[in-house]
Amino acid sequence: MSSPTATTVAVGEPVAAAAPPRRPRRQRGGRGVKRSGLAPLLLLSPAGLVIIALTIVPIGYLIWMSFTDAGQRMLFTGEYDVVGLQQYRDILTDPSFWKSFARTVGFTAAMVGGSVLLGMGVAQLIGKVGRVMRLALTFVLICAWAMPNVASSMVWGWLFQPGYGVGNWLLTQTHLFGDVTDTNWADRPGLAFVCIWMLIVWQAVPFVALTLHAAQSQVDPAYYEAARMDGASEWRVYWTITVHFLRPTLLLVTILSIIWDFNVFNQIWLISKGGPDGATSTLGVYAYRNAFVSFHFGVGSAIAVVTTLLLLGLTAFYVRSLVRTGEEL
Amino acid sequence: MSRTRAARAPHANRVNRAPRPTSGRIVANTLAVLFCLVWIFPVYWMVNTAFKPPYDVTTPTPQFLPRHFTLTNFKAAITQSHFLGDLRNSLIVVSGTLVVAIALGIFAAAALSRFRFRGRRAILVVILAVQMLPSAALLIPMFLVFNKMGLLDHYLGLVLAYVAAVLPFSIWVMRGFFLALPYELEEAAMVDGASTANILFRILFPLVAPGVIATSIFAFVYAWNDYLIAYTFMKDQSMYTLPVWLASFSTPATGTNYGGQMAASVLFSLPVVIFFLAIQRNLVAGLSSGAVKG
Repeated sequence: MSSPTATTVAVGEPVAAAAPPRRPRRQRGGRGVKRSGLAPLLLLSPAGLVIIALTIVPIGYLIWMSFTDAGQRMLFTGEYDVVGLQQYRDILTDPSFWKSFARTVGFTAAMVGGSVLLGMGVAQLIGKVGRVMRLALTFVLICAWAMPNVASSMVWGWLFQPGYGVGNWLLTQTHLFGDVTDTNWADRPGLAFVCIWMLIVWQAVPFVALTLHAAQSQVDPAYYEAARMDGASEWRVYWTITVHFLRPTLLLVTILSIIWDFNVFNQIWLISKGGPDGATSTLGVYAYRNAFVSFHFGVGSAIAVVTTLLLLGLTAFYVRSLVRTGEEL
Repeated sequence: MSRTRAARAPHANRVNRAPRPTSGRIVANTLAVLFCLVWIFPVYWMVNTAFKPPYDVTTPTPQFLPRHFTLTNFKAAITQSHFLGDLRNSLIVVSGTLVVAIALGIFAAAALSRFRFRGRRAILVVILAVQMLPSAALLIPMFLVFNKMGLLDHYLGLVLAYVAAVLPFSIWVMRGFFLALPYELEEAAMVDGASTANILFRILFPLVAPGVIATSIFAFVYAWNDYLIAYTFMKDQSMYTLPVWLASFSTPATGTNYGGQMAASVLFSLPVVIFFLAIQRNLVAGLSSGAVKG
């Protein structure tokens, strides 16, 4: 539901595919008890029924709702009318939908770019520093990662609070932007976005960095020794060896980040509510406002369906690369 | 865990012995120190503010180092109306979610890892795919149905929504732990004539206990942190969970009490940070092939 707090990513597996296996890889996945029959069905059906009832059926209902004018009337009387493709026609001709769409794509690109590039850099750092520094880095990363996003949004609000925010104070001390002590970030379209961007990247870098570091540390050091003996520069070593072996993990991390950042809601809602004047309103915020602020459930459903379709391609790509990098299904 | 350590140790030694330009080391260490300072600062500032007396919180020049220590802010946060009630709401909903998700998930995970049957791959793909749904996609239909069934402002509604979100990845994470168990265990038991139920309950489930703990932590973190669903479903203030309580902390008539708000943030974040540090090895080494995103 809300951008999944926890989601599966193969951290160990792609690595196993990248590094030469130290012991013969055995056939995994479903190799166990080969007796078929009723046992697996019995074991699966409780969870299966729950997933069908709580996920598949609601998605069907969502699609149905998107063909109706379900609104406030429905909440009280349960009545609504079927309007066919009306909602889709309306949103697809609504300039604010297209603006939200473009904004979402732009935000996502900026956030994913920022977190993946920084994460790659930090992963490199973890591998290069000594033991104490590595522990410190890991501790810092985990603290940033673990902060619940409601709490970190509150902290951000305080860091950039007009008047006493320490972020504003520090920026003012640099004399680069003049006196910004009383600047209200959430009130300015560009600044609101910058503020949200910093928050998202701050929390996303640990996931990227630690995952990449885990993959990186599995690369056989013999490659590095050979390259260094041949006199390759550090930069060259990084690009030809590290990045080469990291590619599958990097791909997975990037796809996951795109999907997550595309669905970001809490941080935007808590910092700017999508404002000022819709300047930070992404598709998620746009759908939420339509459904739960103005109670146009039909419109909200249509937006949600369109968003799901947009993400479907990426999700398929994610599942495929997961399979490809060695995760047994 | 020991497996991870063993796999890493030889490699770490070799890297340390490799000749390495010291200037590079210095640059890397400097960058690492800078990064740590910048990245920990928001956390430091939260904690620092939480322990400051009000007159040190709002000063024209920020007080970077603590001068006076006080617990007033924590007292203010805890004694604030609804804190205890909302904490109770959170605990009820979180534990309900955990019990249901683990109980259902462990059987499904066993089926998807120790048996071979038709449709297994399709089910796994669905499990991966449903996690990528945008939040509004499940929120809208659930809200409408729960509204009709009277499940809004009700623990059960929230638990159902959380189970929907948590169950797929619980199955996936526990499945990873099942896959790591050697097949020979079952073979031996089967030779001795043990039934499938016996194999599951006597052999596999006890061995997969660490996986259950890891999964519980992931599920706990999800349900404990969720703001969007609780904010949408729980409109009665006495039914708020802690994240909603924390987010609404900033709207008293007297203006925001930042010291109190930061103390509340510390209290709310603390269990999650502790859990993350506790399962750090799982997070980093990917022992469970499960990862958490904030």
